[in-house]
Amino acid sequence: MSVADVLWRFPSALMAWRNLGRNRVRTGLAALGIVIGVIAIASLGMAGAAIQQQATTDLGGLASEVTVSAGEDSEQDGLTDDQVAEMRAIAGDAPVVPQKSNATRLTSRSGEEVFVSVTAVEQANVLYNVTTGDSPDRLESGALISASTAEQLGLEIGDPVEYDGRLYRIRGLIESGGGFGGGGNELVLPLSALSDQQYYDTVTIEASDGDQATAISEDLEERFNEGDEEVISVTNFAGVQENIDSFLNTLNLALLGIGSISLVVASVAILNVMLMSTIERRGEIGVLRAVGIRRGEVLRMILTEAAFLGVIGGLVGALVSLGVGMLMFDLIADDALLVFGWSSFRYLFYGFGFAVFASLLSGLYPAWKAANDRPVDALRG
Amino acid sequence: MNVIELEDVVKRYRSGEEIIEALKGVDFQADRGEMVTVIGPSGSGKSTMLNIIGLLDTPTEGTVRLDGRNVTDFSEDELTEERRSGIGFVFQDFHLLPMLTATENVELPSMWDTSVDRHDRAIDLLERVGLGDRLEHTPKQLSGGQKQRVAIARALINEPDILLADEPTGNLDQDTGETILEELTRLKEEEDVAIVAVTHDEQMLGYTDSTVRIVDGVIQEVVPA
Repeated sequence: MSVADVLWRFPSALMAWRNLGRNRVRTGLAALGIVIGVIAIASLGMAGAAIQQQATTDLGGLASEVTVSAGEDSEQDGLTDDQVAEMRAIAGDAPVVPQKSNATRLTSRSGEEVFVSVTAVEQANVLYNVTTGDSPDRLESGALISASTAEQLGLEIGDPVEYDGRLYRIRGLIESGGGFGGGGNELVLPLSALSDQQYYDTVTIEASDGDQATAISEDLEERFNEGDEEVISVTNFAGVQENIDSFLNTLNLALLGIGSISLVVASVAILNVMLMSTIERRGEIGVLRAVGIRRGEVLRMILTEAAFLGVIGGLVGALVSLGVGMLMFDLIADDALLVFGWSSFRYLFYGFGFAVFASLLSGLYPAWKAANDRPVDALRG
Repeated sequence: MNVIELEDVVKRYRSGEEIIEALKGVDFQADRGEMVTVIGPSGSGKSTMLNIIGLLDTPTEGTVRLDGRNVTDFSEDELTEERRSGIGFVFQDFHLLPMLTATENVELPSMWDTSVDRHDRAIDLLERVGLGDRLEHTPKQLSGGQKQRVAIARALINEPDILLADEPTGNLDQDTGETILEELTRLKEEEDVAIVAVTHDEQMLGYTDSTVRIVDGVIQEVVPA
């Protein structure tokens, strides 16, 4: 069964298909306009989605993090065990990670000196991404060190580092950076390493999302800081994340707007092509009307032609955009398959739908004009 | 009863500033199984008359009857239905659709009509006009005479009462024209259809049942064969 056999049941479709086949170059060029429009919309939409997704991944940990340190009205220089216990009660399920910090200088075998910040923490796995080696739930012995620092100092897993006269064996390498202010040289030690400091310098609370982080921050403020007093200082970046999200949404809309312009241009091209082809075929349409083809049937035939242009252009455009999208996600997020996520994949549907819609809209006037031409005038050509 | 009847038909139309009276009170009729030829100099109003008989155009004054029914004030959509079911057209330059095969061209008038399947009738008609071996050819692959035969088959597909031919032999050589006229004469009887043909072609007069001469929008004489 050929395409024509199937189409024979749908006369408008058959006629439209044959008519498009008559001038392949023109049909191809009209469809190409749509293809470009769809690629513009879908690719820019997906680029926005890729940037947004990557930004969320990069900033994700930061927004749900609440950092607490001693405020200027604190009675002691740090946070006490009692305060930490109260924070645990307020935070509920969210892990509460008290830390002590310091700084030191490490020396490589070749004599190179590196300044590192030292963090003493028990639940190291909550705060740090261990890229190599193991990631202990409870860090009671050994040390974690930034991968870049280890490389600089020529250290490997199992090598010892010295802090305050004691040796710690490196158990894992952590990712440098992440979030704001990262990227420095970091050495992570058990709490016991800084046992001479009585109080905690900071407490990090890992909420499940930005909203919970905001709620916890407010509860902490209420519990510890009465009036204008600042017993503890609470910081979280949920607001920053919101700002970034809203900026990215605006960016995305702007990108889509630019893409839409090209589709509008494409639909004007289709309008032109359909108008030209109906004017050229005026006599033929007159014959159709003379032999008793109804106005509505002529209208359907020409609208179907426009719809075919939109569908063909839309499909090709969506396929090419999928390729472009995979390339973008590969470059931006290092994973081409992320393009199949709904947040970006939907732009293929938007592009396709918009293409068909724009084509139909452009076909409306030529179709109406051809269908309502008086047959006796149309026959004169 | 006459299948088509014009009574005192006047047609005026505006051409720029002036109003042209193309038909000035024309009476005309034709019956099934009859071939009427309309002759006259160019600009005499024969095409206008054919358009009115074919329900492609409406008269300014007068009455048009189809099978005794007054269709003068029918809307465009009603006229389309009448053309579809009762009138076939054959044009001087064939007017076949280039992207359709011979069979598809013949089926064209009934194509959107899903209630009937005219495929077998299309093939039958094409065989009867001697194109049984050209069913799948496109107009490009057919000669002038073959194209006109396809057009005649198309005009007859919906079993019309009237077949209108505008210079059916105008683009054909003498011999081909003659075979087309023989074809029309035969089908006129087989299909019991009224044929109204406008022509300049003298050889046509040998096949016609009566001849109407029209000059300046007025019928001058009716010559029964």
